[in-house]
Amino acid sequence: MSSFKKDKKEEEDGSCLFTGIEKTTVLQECRTFNETPVNPKKCIRIMTSILYLLNQGEQLSSTEATEAFFAMTKLFQSQDVILRRMVYLGIKELSGVADDVIIVTSSLTKDMTGKEDLYRAAAIRALCSITDATMLQAIERYMKQAIVDRNSAVSSAALVSSLHMTKMANDVVKRYVNEAQEAINSDNIMVQYHALGVLYHIRKTDKLAVNKLVAKLTKSSLRSPYAACMLIRMAAKLLEEEENGSDLPFFDFIESCLRHKSEVVIYEAAHAIVNLKCTTNSELAHAISCLQSFCNSPKATLRFAAVRTLNQVAISHLAAVKLCNMDLENLITDSNRSIATLAITTLLKTGSESSVDRLMKQIATFVSEISDEFKVVVVQAIRALSLKFPRKHSVLMTFLSMMLRDEGGLEYKASIADTIITIIEDNPDAKEIGLAHLCEFIEDCEHTSLAVRILHLLGKEGPRTKQPSKYIRFIYNRVILENPTVRAAAISAMAQFGATCPDLLENILVLLARCQMDSDDEVRDRATYYSNILSYLDPSLYNSYIIESPQVSIPSLERSLKEYCDGCTDEPFDLKSVPIAVVPTNEEVTRAQQKSEGMIMSTGPTKKVKVSREENYAQKLTLIPGIAQAGSLFRSSEVVELTESETEYVVRCIKHTFSRCIVLQFDCLNTLSDQLLENVRVQLEPSEGYKILKEIPCEKLPYNETGTTYIVLQYPENFFASVATFGAVLKFIVKDCDPDTGLPDTDEGYDDEYILEDLEINLGDQIQRVSKVNWQASWEELSENCVEMEETYSLASMSTLEEAVKNIIQFLGLQPAERSDKIPEGKTTHTLLLAGIFRGGADILVRAKLALADGVTMQLTVRSTHPDVAELVTASVG
Amino acid sequence: MGLFQKLALFLGIRKKEVNVLVIGLNNSGKSTVINHFKNDEDKASDIVPTVGFSIERFQNQNLAFTAFDMSGHGKYRDLWEHYYKDCHGIIFVVDSSDRLRLVVVKDELDILLQHPDVCNRKIPVLFFANKMDCKDALSSVKIAAGLGMDKIMDKPWHISASNALTGEGLNEGVEWLTQQIREYIVNNKF
Repeated sequence: MSSFKKDKKEEEDGSCLFTGIEKTTVLQECRTFNETPVNPKKCIRIMTSILYLLNQGEQLSSTEATEAFFAMTKLFQSQDVILRRMVYLGIKELSGVADDVIIVTSSLTKDMTGKEDLYRAAAIRALCSITDATMLQAIERYMKQAIVDRNSAVSSAALVSSLHMTKMANDVVKRYVNEAQEAINSDNIMVQYHALGVLYHIRKTDKLAVNKLVAKLTKSSLRSPYAACMLIRMAAKLLEEEENGSDLPFFDFIESCLRHKSEVVIYEAAHAIVNLKCTTNSELAHAISCLQSFCNSPKATLRFAAVRTLNQVAISHLAAVKLCNMDLENLITDSNRSIATLAITTLLKTGSESSVDRLMKQIATFVSEISDEFKVVVVQAIRALSLKFPRKHSVLMTFLSMMLRDEGGLEYKASIADTIITIIEDNPDAKEIGLAHLCEFIEDCEHTSLAVRILHLLGKEGPRTKQPSKYIRFIYNRVILENPTVRAAAISAMAQFGATCPDLLENILVLLARCQMDSDDEVRDRATYYSNILSYLDPSLYNSYIIESPQVSIPSLERSLKEYCDGCTDEPFDLKSVPIAVVPTNEEVTRAQQKSEGMIMSTGPTKKVKVSREENYAQKLTLIPGIAQAGSLFRSSEVVELTESETEYVVRCIKHTFSRCIVLQFDCLNTLSDQLLENVRVQLEPSEGYKILKEIPCEKLPYNETGTTYIVLQYPENFFASVATFGAVLKFIVKDCDPDTGLPDTDEGYDDEYILEDLEINLGDQIQRVSKVNWQASWEELSENCVEMEETYSLASMSTLEEAVKNIIQFLGLQPAERSDKIPEGKTTHTLLLAGIFRGGADILVRAKLALADGVTMQLTVRSTHPDVAELVTASVG
Repeated sequence: MGLFQKLALFLGIRKKEVNVLVIGLNNSGKSTVINHFKNDEDKASDIVPTVGFSIERFQNQNLAFTAFDMSGHGKYRDLWEHYYKDCHGIIFVVDSSDRLRLVVVKDELDILLQHPDVCNRKIPVLFFANKMDCKDALSSVKIAAGLGMDKIMDKPWHISASNALTGEGLNEGVEWLTQQIREYIVNNKF
């Protein structure tokens, strides 16, 4: 009676039977399993507690798990059906942690081939979880039998288990292909689906086989809607890979699925069609109308799926999605918040400027009720909107700052901050308001990483606003209130103000002096460093040590420092020996952005520290004898094709520039199956001044393999001779060989050669791009001790400023600064600011004033620390 | 435990359940021995090497046996000890035609007898000198001598020559085991 009361009380507490159980007690209780005869009721309760604990995330040590596992094996003597099934679950849970789990193999094989149907499917799943690649062959026979078993549960279990096992033993599972083929004809919808999954998995590396499989199955109609969905995905993937337009039979199949009787299949087909790259409008219309009708479905799932898909493709298929606007309007007031959010954000993407205000108001009513994930969707829509309608920035900005003040996770906050930053960068009018919002935000920001980012931005943008002094208060507040990381960032930001605004310098010095008493080492160090530099009152010092960040690539710096520390020399470390960081090109940045915007659910920030291409090549090049003395790699060029793509031999060249020499890396591919090439090398006809230091041939080049041969050239002393064009010939010894074995027929080959396209070494190869934050300051600094060259050109072949800018950047290989590569619309004149470093370390700054009139006229001003370099730049243009 | 079961136990109608452990080197015929005792409808037609262990049941003279048929493969032998603790008898199967590995058998036997879960208990050990039909099979006496069984003082043991394929000698051995386990149970008030 008392226990009954207790139970009731527990129920009222809302706690479940298992709250408060402890790992140690449960593991103690496992001893009950050893009793004979087995008490099923008691054992089931204990098994349930173990499973509960494991699923609550409790970790068992290997010995604990092994002990529990072996106690569990004794339960096989009981014939109790429920207990046995609990044991299977236990085995699956513990199989990863416990040792010697293999011991239950025989017991499980007995159960899976036995008469009791209730055991069989579960036994198969448990068996596959304990089996490793070596043991798999022992149970192969049983698995094959189980796949074609009449019992659908058994068959499904075997198929799904095989699918899981492909991860560790792909080869063994491949042998199940006949059985899976048989299972695909099953009447059971699940078996058919799983069989298709296994078949696809077995063949997925072989495109032709997949093609055949899909072609065969599209003709016979599959009963299972899930299998049909999978088939649609496979067909869509094939269409996607088949780049030259739509492959008709597969597309027809997908389109025919739009008339399927199952809604899942219809949705899948519509989803596939709208996501295909090249679809015509008429093809699209049918799919969109299906989604449109789903928007009015009484089922929330269908509405959600439809509107989510429309949201995803709103940008790419703007016109088609616009047709659904009426239906989407209805969904704004949907009781399901997720649907409403997606509907509104879709409308924001497709809508016109006039509807923005109304929609924003609508979102504001429920934004606090939706989950973070969807808030991120809203933020992304706003970002797209602000880029589309710059004039609406004040509405959007107010809205964003409101969202910023709400509760939310890091990812959500970061996406808002990102959006505000994007707006600031894109739209000068919005800068002051945006900075003000961000200042307010960091007053109460619990995410250190975000605060640091915003402080950095304030340091960069703040000094150039009309009234820089008002930001100082916000930044200094951080120094007083925050953790060391944020304090250090705040100090760096303040130093930027001190360096850029002379009238604030005095105050900043006072503040920095105070910070030198900080309790944290890093904060103190920074404060001392900056106040020292600022006290020199020398703008050129400011420029190189405060405003511009060091231009070296961090991974290389780390490597060089490590090497320096390992070798014991008395020489000071030379920062110039570290390769310069590569500024990501615009395309890379936009590609990364598109990737994140295209996805509706952002999948967590998994950014790796990217090792630059130079870094990669540098490591490879050090392996080649003789190149090590050349110093550190300065720049690697893009890949240049020296042959047509569909020829007998494909040769690509990469130019690696060092300070005094250039290494040409030729990647050669042999596409003739009946030839073995030996001693493959490239013969160059170097122009005057160039000297070939070394040639490293590729010894052997079998069919379909890429081999590499190198040539090391010394740059001419005279810079002007360094821009040159060489004739190139590929030379090699051919040995005819058997196409099947690849072994040569005879030992003797004959010499042959193959003419390559001319190889150019141009200015861009010798220049590394450098990103300057404050280009103007660097420009003025260089005016004193350098050479300036000025020249005027007329670029007749260019018809727009954009085209000219793009070509100039590409030709000179310099990095545009201060976003001068973006041209405001409707302008006929533009100034392009560029920066870079010539091999050997001479700085180059270029200002190109462009004017559009009947072609483009350009006035090019070059400043460089080396006179010849400046002249070379001006001479090579034109 | 239900009232009926208690009553049944009291009256001695209910069968006693005992656990026996079946061990021995691989290919000595453990699974085949157990297969012989099973009911006709449960018998397996072909015996494959056991991986890990399998649990089988059979009856003899009102005693219900649960046999833990362990794998004898080299890498699984160290798993036997997990099951020593709660067994009431041990059946040790020896391939009497495999002279070469008799030393391995002796090793394994010594390890078994010295194990803390076994050495202090008076559990009966039944040896089957299996494959007696083979031409070069050793006699049970020779095996007993070869394994040094005369030194086993603290446990009742018995060796019987057997042929698991025909069943010869098996029943005799198990009857001895049944008898011993009964005594063991009475002495330990199980």
